[in-house]
Amino acid sequence: MLLTQLKYDLIMFSREIFYLAFSLIIPPVTYIFLGQLFGENTYANGLTYAEVYTPSFILLITFSVIFFAFGFEQVVNRSSGVEKRILLAPVSKKILLVSNILRSIIVTSVGYFFIQMLGIFVYNLPFDYMNFISSYAFFLLLNILLLIFASAIYSFFKEMKSALVFSIVIFQFVMFTGGFALPIEIMPKFVQMIAYLNPLYHMNQLFIAIWNNQLHFDTDTFLSLGYALFLLIISYLIIQRQRKTV
Amino acid sequence: MIKVKNLHKSYHGKPVLKGLDFQANKGEIIGVIGKNGAGKSTFLEIIMTLKSYDEGEVNVFGHDLKHLTEQKQQAIRSNISAVLQPTEFYKNLKVVELLRLFKAYYQSDLKIEQIIEDFKLESHKKTYFEKLSGGWKQKVSLAIAFLSNPKLIILDEPTTGLDPHMRNTLWSYIAEYNRKTGGTVILTTHYMDEIEMYCDKVCLINDGKAEVLTTPENILARGYSSINNFYLQNVEAI
Repeated sequence: MLLTQLKYDLIMFSREIFYLAFSLIIPPVTYIFLGQLFGENTYANGLTYAEVYTPSFILLITFSVIFFAFGFEQVVNRSSGVEKRILLAPVSKKILLVSNILRSIIVTSVGYFFIQMLGIFVYNLPFDYMNFISSYAFFLLLNILLLIFASAIYSFFKEMKSALVFSIVIFQFVMFTGGFALPIEIMPKFVQMIAYLNPLYHMNQLFIAIWNNQLHFDTDTFLSLGYALFLLIISYLIIQRQRKTV
Repeated sequence: MIKVKNLHKSYHGKPVLKGLDFQANKGEIIGVIGKNGAGKSTFLEIIMTLKSYDEGEVNVFGHDLKHLTEQKQQAIRSNISAVLQPTEFYKNLKVVELLRLFKAYYQSDLKIEQIIEDFKLESHKKTYFEKLSGGWKQKVSLAIAFLSNPKLIILDEPTTGLDPHMRNTLWSYIAEYNRKTGGTVILTTHYMDEIEMYCDKVCLINDGKAEVLTTPENILARGYSSINNFYLQNVEAI
């Protein structure tokens, strides 16, 4: 049953142009475009454009897939009545959830390898086997975190239109304050303050550090990890609370 | 098959069902009527195990719905199918794909080709669900509902908005299912002629209670010229 559900979940994703555009088209195009503009620059800790922005854009794809195709999709199904009809079918919620999670991991992994290939072939990004394993493992952890965040946030939405507006706004917000478009350090002070409240900014910093073997357990790292853990607990509590109010 | 006693349900302190009693036996077609907002859909969703309730007893296939494990709930749901309002399924799947997916959900022995033939879906089997007209969506929903050979089918306004031909077609399927399988059908409708023509019993929900649960013949025997006339005289306009 799980494989059947997963097969149809993937088919549905592949047929939704909106999800494809925001998750698998816009981020890679932006990655290449920004690379043409800033490819020669050197960033913090002496990193190249590809070393900073390859993990960043992988995270951006992960965020887009999970927030649009997982979170927003839940609202679409809820508001249109699909969720109710599926609930009535004798298929366990676990199968539906696991299939959704697997779909997200498969699609985001495609994005992962796609961006990494672009980095290798276009920007001569070095490839290290051990580093790849640790980065991919951390990427899976980020996937799980984002899935929980998305579940909690989108559980508040009953209407598709408001969820759509929120999704588009949050994409822009994350793009600019997560350090995906330009380095936060060169942005105005107030944007930097907002960025520190954006969990994607912290996840991005951690991912860049792990990708480049530069993770140090200093104050910044503990702050980022602590913030992610705090949001994880809040999200979990929200999900539990929303489940009870049926 | 279904016994409901003194059912209460409220939303944010506003009572919708206020002590509803109901009973359905095997093989019956029961039409539930009442004005918009009377609690018909809430009542059906409670029977389908989709909604919780505040008070009362609801017994479906011999199980008390108040004390269900997830496994028992799934066992009950495997014997219930429904056409809900609004009629929506995954919009990006084709009709034949939806049939395959639901066949897997219900682990049905029926062949997809047979269902397509029975419901005359051949011409639209490769059409995406979202591209179907209202009538075709209802037709596909019914096909999916019958796919599992359920003991109980619940239809929430299955013919609303359809032209007379399509209504007639859907009713012929419902009647045929009922005749073939002996399954119970509970439906809501605003078309009183359907109650008169096709239903064994009619249940009028008014002010949160089942004011009437009897056969259309009994209602007509009370001197009403039609079920429509009975409805108009017993239900206040909103």
